[in-house]
Amino acid sequence: MNNESHENHQGHKNHKHSETEHIGPILEVRDLSVTFGNQEVLKNVSFSVNEGNILAIIGPNGAGKTVLLKALIGLTSYDGEVKWRSDIKIGYVPQRLPETESLLLTVKEFLILKSKHLFFKDKEWLSAINHELESVGLSSTILERQLKNLSRGQFQRVLIAWAILGHPNVLLFDEPTAGIDLAGEDTIYNLLRRLHQDRGLTILLISHDLNIVYRYANNVLCLNKERLCFGEPQKALTNEQIEKLYGKNVFYHHKH
Amino acid sequence: MSLFIDTQFLLILLAGIFTALAASFLGVFVIVKRMALASDVLSHVALPGMGLALLLNYDPMLGAAAFLILAALAVWAIEKKTTLPPESIIGTFFVATLAIGVLLVPDEELLKSLFGDLFAATILILTIILSRRLTLSIIASDLAKSIKARPDAAYLGFLVLFALNIALGIKLIGSLLMGALMILPAVAARNFSWSMKSFFSISIILGVLMMTTGILIAKYFEFMPGPSVIITGIVFFIISLLFKRG
Repeated sequence: MNNESHENHQGHKNHKHSETEHIGPILEVRDLSVTFGNQEVLKNVSFSVNEGNILAIIGPNGAGKTVLLKALIGLTSYDGEVKWRSDIKIGYVPQRLPETESLLLTVKEFLILKSKHLFFKDKEWLSAINHELESVGLSSTILERQLKNLSRGQFQRVLIAWAILGHPNVLLFDEPTAGIDLAGEDTIYNLLRRLHQDRGLTILLISHDLNIVYRYANNVLCLNKERLCFGEPQKALTNEQIEKLYGKNVFYHHKH
Repeated sequence: MSLFIDTQFLLILLAGIFTALAASFLGVFVIVKRMALASDVLSHVALPGMGLALLLNYDPMLGAAAFLILAALAVWAIEKKTTLPPESIIGTFFVATLAIGVLLVPDEELLKSLFGDLFAATILILTIILSRRLTLSIIASDLAKSIKARPDAAYLGFLVLFALNIALGIKLIGSLLMGALMILPAVAARNFSWSMKSFFSISIILGVLMMTTGILIAKYFEFMPGPSVIITGIVFFIISLLFKRG
């Protein structure tokens, strides 16, 4: 399945992206370390991501996965080197938003916040919003609903729509399916794969689910404060690695 | 004589309406940021500034504005450094400035000088311009940073506008009423609202209504406008409770 998606993507890239194709990775990370106070959260993590690839980041709770994503886009300070290729545009999907209750924001109002305009001139942006809602499988009737009244799955899709507004070429997902039931989880990953195929996006995603890693990712980064493995899932993610990462009984360990 | 009184009354009414516009719009953010009580506190920050200006023979509002802006900057800087909640930092300012203020401030003379409606209009316009960025940085500062929207700058702008608005209000209607003017329209509006836009709009409408009704009632019964404006606002709030959406 993985190979198939990769080929599809390559085909797409030859059509649309041939003139912007660059040699070398789209992201290169060297010796990335993050400390909070005197607590070491990440230690000397190195890896790279090629254009159009899906990198899955896995690790137990508290392994520093979210911090890694935040460091990659400069939301937290770090030591070491994070080198993005210069032509990239990043869409970021956080796990949750800290404050949606008190502001009564509707889906439409939330999506408008990404517009560069500080007020007015929203027509183009609104049609872009409608388009992206469609691509994440939501109908435009959801526009007038308040964020706080959405289901977890709908909310996740709205966050994804937010991220892909304005055509980024890299997406960062912080646990796209946290708190979503299994059926919903499946469709969210299908959605991600479709975005990946249709748009040639490079995707970095945090996941708890090893099945997802095998099915969708080109590469996997195992993290527990430091890098424990990196490479193609089939090669890098050996049983010993998994045990080392999560301890034994790994498949029953999916706590959130 | 009656013509003179009416012109002056209209001027006061107009100034009240402008102040209400700016305050009730900004008030939405004030209550969402859980800084409702901070507006009262911030108004005390102005007192030593006013006292000092009077001593040195300047317009007291200059002193108030300078102290409020300094306070806003300091709160922003300290919050950034310590990640303490803004209210506790403002609270620290409160005790310090109140003590100095009591020593320095003479009496009601402070509340007599006049500002312009232009000032209020400027605050309103700046708040509108800031509102999207500020909303984004309140609901998700990470998302704001991810599109390079500088949430801390938006918050600083908010604090400065907040302080300026209080400076304006102190001059016009007294520090006590100013807190109410920011809080009451917004909390009442929240009960009526179904979206952010309606939240802002209803808050502004209620703010202007509250101010106008309050001033008119005060003129008719010939008592101080401050309390009647506040009581009108409280009545709005009580009515809004009946409309609270689940």
